[in-house]
Amino acid sequence: MAKPEYALKNQAKHQVQPLTKYQRLKRDKWLYLMLIPGLAYFLIFKYTPMWGVLIAFKDYSPFLGFWDSPWVGMDHFRNFFQNPDFFRLLRNTLYLAVLDLVFFFPAPIILALMLNELRFTFYKRTIQTLIYVPHFMSWVIVASMTYLFFTAGSGAINMLVENVTGKQINFLSAPEWFRPLIMLQIIWKETGWGTVIFLAALAGVSQEQYEAAIVDGAGRLRRLWHVTLPAIRSTIIILLILRLGNFLDTGFQQIFLMTNSLNREVADVFDTYVYFVGITQGAYSYSTAVGLFKAVVGIILILGANKLAKKMGQNGIF
Amino acid sequence: MLNMHNTPAGKVFDVFNIMILGFIGLVTVLPFLYILAGSFATEAELTRRSFFIIPETFSLEAYKYIFSTDTFFRSILVSIYVTVVGTLICLIFTFTMAYPLSRKKLMGRNVILNLVLFSMLFSGGMIPTYLVVKGLGLLDTLWAVMLPMAINPFFLIIVKNFFQELPIELEESAKIDGCSEFSVFWRIFLPLSKPVIATFALFYAVLLWNDFFAALLYINDSSKWPVQLLLQQVIILSQMAIGDASQMGAEYIEPPEQSLKFAVIIVATVPILIIYPFLQKHFAKGILIGSVKG
Amino acid sequence: MKSILKTRFGVFTLSVLFLVSTVMSACSPTEETNQSTTESDTDRLEINIMTTAYSPEPPSDDSPALKGIEDYTDTDITMHWVLDNAYEDKLNITMASGELPEIMMIPNKMPSFINAVRNGAFWELGPYLDDYPNLKESNEIVLNNMSIDGKVYGVYRARPLGRLGVTIRKDWLEHLDLDIPKTIDEFYHVLKAFKEQDPNGSGQDDTYGMVVSKYNGPWDIMQTWFGAPNKWGEDPNGQLIPDFTTDEYMEALRFFKKLYDEGLVNEDFAVMDPLEWGDPIVNGEAGVIVDVLDRGHRAQEDIQEINPDIEDPIDVFGAVEGPKGLRHLPTSGYSGMLAIPKTSVQTEEHLRQILTFIDKLNDAEPQIFAQNGVEGRHFEIQDGELVELDNGNNQLVYEKQDLNQFIAFIPENRFHEPEQTPLRVKEQEIMEANEAIVVPNPAEALISEVYSQRGQQLDNIINDARIKFIVGQIDEAGFQDAVDLWYKSGGEAYVNEINEQYQAIQN
Repeated sequence: MAKPEYALKNQAKHQVQPLTKYQRLKRDKWLYLMLIPGLAYFLIFKYTPMWGVLIAFKDYSPFLGFWDSPWVGMDHFRNFFQNPDFFRLLRNTLYLAVLDLVFFFPAPIILALMLNELRFTFYKRTIQTLIYVPHFMSWVIVASMTYLFFTAGSGAINMLVENVTGKQINFLSAPEWFRPLIMLQIIWKETGWGTVIFLAALAGVSQEQYEAAIVDGAGRLRRLWHVTLPAIRSTIIILLILRLGNFLDTGFQQIFLMTNSLNREVADVFDTYVYFVGITQGAYSYSTAVGLFKAVVGIILILGANKLAKKMGQNGIF
Repeated sequence: MLNMHNTPAGKVFDVFNIMILGFIGLVTVLPFLYILAGSFATEAELTRRSFFIIPETFSLEAYKYIFSTDTFFRSILVSIYVTVVGTLICLIFTFTMAYPLSRKKLMGRNVILNLVLFSMLFSGGMIPTYLVVKGLGLLDTLWAVMLPMAINPFFLIIVKNFFQELPIELEESAKIDGCSEFSVFWRIFLPLSKPVIATFALFYAVLLWNDFFAALLYINDSSKWPVQLLLQQVIILSQMAIGDASQMGAEYIEPPEQSLKFAVIIVATVPILIIYPFLQKHFAKGILIGSVKG
Repeated sequence: MKSILKTRFGVFTLSVLFLVSTVMSACSPTEETNQSTTESDTDRLEINIMTTAYSPEPPSDDSPALKGIEDYTDTDITMHWVLDNAYEDKLNITMASGELPEIMMIPNKMPSFINAVRNGAFWELGPYLDDYPNLKESNEIVLNNMSIDGKVYGVYRARPLGRLGVTIRKDWLEHLDLDIPKTIDEFYHVLKAFKEQDPNGSGQDDTYGMVVSKYNGPWDIMQTWFGAPNKWGEDPNGQLIPDFTTDEYMEALRFFKKLYDEGLVNEDFAVMDPLEWGDPIVNGEAGVIVDVLDRGHRAQEDIQEINPDIEDPIDVFGAVEGPKGLRHLPTSGYSGMLAIPKTSVQTEEHLRQILTFIDKLNDAEPQIFAQNGVEGRHFEIQDGELVELDNGNNQLVYEKQDLNQFIAFIPENRFHEPEQTPLRVKEQEIMEANEAIVVPNPAEALISEVYSQRGQQLDNIINDARIKFIVGQIDEAGFQDAVDLWYKSGGEAYVNEINEQYQAIQN
């Protein structure tokens, strides 16, 4: 909408009077000064330890230290890809990642929009406060609550199901219920928290814009479409792109706690697998290799999504 | 203003909206109420009844136990200190870096953004990071808990994006008035970013408050342990004491009582929960651009 | 451009320097040993100890109980407490940073420790143990269990071998006029009666026999009664074979299935949170739990808290008799070991000093300091009975709690035991009696590379199949398929590795 106009203006100005690099540097000296603390942070705390990535190509033992641990080349990657369970793990991980994107990702947006439509400030604030509470409960608690409500026999929800349908459902052990339960848990736990960022973005919409829309005779839906959504669109896109970077991350603790002998077939994912290998083997190198694999997938997805967003006329990350 | 909602369809929607949100609010808060109730219940009741919101017999034993020494109280103070000071540091680092990165004219901007992105996906891992913290002489100080998480790259990019959304005329008109870039940032952009600052203050505060792993690794001195560390200890311990498959319970540790566990959860959670209502007023609609564009 | 290059380059060199220095420090292991010499008692032997803490406030260096231990052993102890939930991470980091204490508690045979041992980083203690009055009484079974490649690299922290057993509702037995079961058959009939004959006298069908959770332990314990080996059995040719290939194992499995089919076990056991495991017995829904014996008195206390009228609701027993007589699945008999790194203890003389210290800790006096605290402050002895003075006073408890984490308790517990209820006494007696009927795992001391890499997956295959068989999702053919899958997924190499090492030790 208004944006490309600014961008054009800006560009045009630069074309009129091109500056040398030195001039630009001098002009922006304040900006560069402001960058210093942040850059120092990244170099010290993120990039200095980065040599640790190399242990994916070594057989790292803490006692031997970095240099004395033997190089093993691509062995860990080979082990990972040749693992008989690799495709099962990949399938389960992708399945959950896609479900997450389809069901969990939009949930906070919808909830934030619903909250935005509420007029009673006190009620709105109360609901906001309530729904963000679950974020602070650990997965251990969430898992035991789930057990409490869903277990066959005495679980409250299962008793309800029995009253309605006449028989109980083995929510916790049936493989087909594993993914819905995982989604339900994460939506329950994190949706309220997720609204915070969208509510902040919605705070940027001015009352005048709504009023102008009303004057133009826009109905409620059209106001939602033409005023509210555009205001949070760029936030949605950025979050989506960043989410793709962690596409293969599934909540380890959550899945670990919900796995049992009867649903393991669908429950095993990279994160739980790496945990067990890490625990039983102390496999720093191996888990680093898996982390590298996931990061490469993430990079590809992020760069791809960023390009796509820009093609569609949106601001990407860059 | 009221006529905005006055159509019949709008009214039906409003009623639905209010009811659904009320239901969601209730469902999300129920388990927390159970934990709260459980922290005041006796152990016997917790074993007998699987879910309740009002305990039959009201007991303060768990809280008495927790506060019988100054350990928990002190750990809460440590947590508050880390959260307050840490959040300030995080906000300063994040916002001063995000602003220059939001200026498209900046040379080298894409290189830096790539560096940031890259660091989100690749990390050196626990041991190299530990060695850096140790090399800086931060071990056993609370800096070790705060500094390594001073900038969350994820947040940095979102803040940068927020700045980018602000109309560029703001900057240009200020420049004409002879402001330096820094005072443009300080006098114009920051005051406009109140909701954003509030949001990320909350995000960082919650991260800092909830973090226990950094303290676990970097802080040996038990007088500097934050409350989350004690919470982890109580919860995980009670998980392990029963049915640790590999050890067959080789350790003689009595699991902590359920009510104690719940009380520790309450003590470790409530302080951070009450921040949100205070920040909420900054999320009110229309502060940001409305005041400028008007 | 020039200046940006310059600063970039500057930062780059800086970070490279930094990198190098940190990497270097990872490789220079000696430094810390003399750090705490500034203390007053300079002539005392200084010992740094790294071990687990479970308390939110582990004893500080001026705890009177710790001082008591220092005086008795004439040492200057510096404790490095690590909360147990990140102990292994911290241990690995400590090894990587190269600053090792003189005594490190190693919680189990973790791969990085095995690796370090094979690289000669820790003293082999086996040949020395006999020179010390307490340590020479170390239990042979446990020494074997903790050994790496046949050698002992630490002083184990003793725990009862015969800790596992059965907890049962005594009041239910009495109500139904039944005795404690002696054989598998009687065990079955007791479970059946608990389900069908209204043991709690409520007039309703609201009870069942045995409660089991997601945790596999109970099945492992019970299959031993049937004659199944402890993880590895020996075939007629002297080859080791995995337990689940034996007939006894299948026999036990069919029995478990029968229990489940007849509703004698809780229907949701496969998903039950182990945290909830004890509740049904306390609430009077289930009558039996197969776990550690000390669950007995915990259950007793919980039941009496809810219902103080029940006088003596719990009884315990070790095992029931099967076709091969009384058999008991042992624990490993130790919980971690105290190991001595060569980087911090460089001479044999120094090593002997440290060993003398570890040995002395097992005398009565240090054990009492560590377990009971200081007489007159934490406890008193009145008429030969222990009276705890710190009950409910956490500040006092924190002065001594966790001090037992670096004591081996070899050959026995010598501290003051609290007054024993008959049930607790019985638990102790059964633990000792169990030691006579333990079924050792012949491969306990053997280390398999395949297993260390794929062990979890291999274990899952069999454990999952077992649960699926019990709940009726697969039949015996399906179980055999799982066994085949196990062999194909690395089990075969695992069996071969174990057998090679086993034969080498036998000869």
